[in-house]
Amino acid sequence: MLGKRLLPWDYGVRNLFRRPTRSALTFGGLTIVVLLVLVVVGFIRGLEKSLTATGSPDVVLVYSLSSAADIENSSIPGRTAALLSASVDGIRRTHGVECTSPELYLGTRVATASLEQPGMGVVRGVTTSAPLVRDRVQLVEGSWPESGQVMVGRLAHSKLGASEKDLVVGQQVEFDGKTWTISGRFTAAGSAFESEIWAPLADLQTTLKRQDLSLVAAKMDSPDRVADVDIFCRERVDLELKAVAESAYYASLQKHYKPVRMLGWVVVALVAGSGVFAGLNTMYGAVAGRIRELATLQAIGYRRRAILLTLVQEATLLACAGALAACVIGLLLVDGLAVRFTMGAFMLRVDSVGIAVACGVAALLGVAGALPPAAKAMRLPVVEAIKAI
Amino acid sequence: MSLVDVLNVTKEYANGDETIRPLDGVSLSIHEGDYVSLMGASGSGKSTLLNLIAGIDQVASGEIVVAGTDITKLSRGKLADWRAAHIGYVFQTHNLIPVLTAYENVELPLLLLPMSAAERRKRVEIALEAVDLTPRASHYPRQMSGGQEQRVGIARAIVASPTIIVADEPTGSLDDETTEQILSLLSRVNDELGMTLLMVTHDADAGARARRQVRLERGRLMENGKETKATTLRTA
Repeated sequence: MLGKRLLPWDYGVRNLFRRPTRSALTFGGLTIVVLLVLVVVGFIRGLEKSLTATGSPDVVLVYSLSSAADIENSSIPGRTAALLSASVDGIRRTHGVECTSPELYLGTRVATASLEQPGMGVVRGVTTSAPLVRDRVQLVEGSWPESGQVMVGRLAHSKLGASEKDLVVGQQVEFDGKTWTISGRFTAAGSAFESEIWAPLADLQTTLKRQDLSLVAAKMDSPDRVADVDIFCRERVDLELKAVAESAYYASLQKHYKPVRMLGWVVVALVAGSGVFAGLNTMYGAVAGRIRELATLQAIGYRRRAILLTLVQEATLLACAGALAACVIGLLLVDGLAVRFTMGAFMLRVDSVGIAVACGVAALLGVAGALPPAAKAMRLPVVEAIKAI
Repeated sequence: MSLVDVLNVTKEYANGDETIRPLDGVSLSIHEGDYVSLMGASGSGKSTLLNLIAGIDQVASGEIVVAGTDITKLSRGKLADWRAAHIGYVFQTHNLIPVLTAYENVELPLLLLPMSAAERRKRVEIALEAVDLTPRASHYPRQMSGGQEQRVGIARAIVASPTIIVADEPTGSLDDETTEQILSLLSRVNDELGMTLLMVTHDADAGARARRQVRLERGRLMENGKETKATTLRTA
């Protein structure tokens, strides 16, 4: 019954083309607003995904008790990996090889061919057992690094602020007084590893004149076995070790970035708010010029609700068209853009959540922008409105 | 039996501290098939009375009974539904919807009534033919002359076969030749289609075309030198 009493759909659509310049300007404004929302949501989602994807609940990180939860400051004996293997049950074995990865982890200045100043990079010294533990790491080009070689994550150039061409296979980078040749490139399912440079552990230790490790990562048979490693570390107080599940470690880093994420959502709210004002301005203008027409519709017999709905339809259509344009621009130009942060780099993600938020904001802009001017027009008595110029 | 009974209706509104009462206890009966012209000086309240009968304004006191329904008792929503079924409104300034074609403008009132698309199409075609605008069906208001626009307005008013057609100064914005065309058309609507018409006009010649001429003078309705009275004194 309600459907029979609504104004024709075409009426709302054609009204958008009645003042094409105004509609085009509003469309442009709404597109920018929704695009800004997409970028901010993409930033938040990218950051969250990077940290979430990095941590695995069945991987335990063993590092020094005195490092204040920062593995870059950690220094543990080189024999820790062997000690763990000998003392803790439940470490997974794959093809007869124990899944433990002794690693040296450091932030250091890295020079590339085109960088005027070396950029701050993250270097990880690893052995061939590292991929057994970091199973999301996939070599996508080239080969595993031999002595004097490194392999680079697909976002390592972003972390360094360098061109992607600087880090293609065969190019050279320089850090800690040594020149390294890039032997391969890897991905890691969007995790923070993708912004790292991986070098052979022994080679890196020699270059840095270090015998120690930063951490040992071990993959357990199940997440429950992480507690066994923790007990081992607590019992062997002489080693001054600490064990934390990798997922817990990165979750704690996520907490560290919570204010940034909150700020992002505040920006989304502010941008959406400014968009509502733009929508309000347009709809006040559009309604003001149609007072008599709206009164005529009422005189014919259309209820105020039907007229209100058609005004909301107009504004929402325009906002949704803006959202569609913003999503297309976002997917083409924003999705996959790399952003640097202290932990490395991550990609802006225009995913289903971002698109859903953008569409929600667009719908909000349409409804909130149309209701006040429509309600104002509907409050006018029909006999007065019908005489309006 | 009368189709419209205006019973002791008073309308007043405030103008600053002053209360203006354009209608002061007026009564009037309009019978089925009547063609009534309502004349009077500017500001005498003739459009006010028309708007009250059309259900787009509200009385201070009194009753208006149209086809057995006291419309002063209806809620705003019910009144809108009632208008859709019972009133055909012809405006002075045509008031066509600029983004809709002549056909779509005429179809608008029918979208509010329960009928099939085929029935709607048939009625719109008949209404456009009645006002001699079938070739202009796909034209937008901006592509038509003032007279053509008003003819579309009349087609829109008659298309749903309403209980009464109210026309507020329908020739007020037209030249003499077009005025003649519109007045002839309204007479045809009354004569040939048998529709009841109430037309407000300040033009004595236009008013003379109606079968009954009613004048509004100092808040009182006069017909043939006597104050009008309602013939039905009780609402249904």
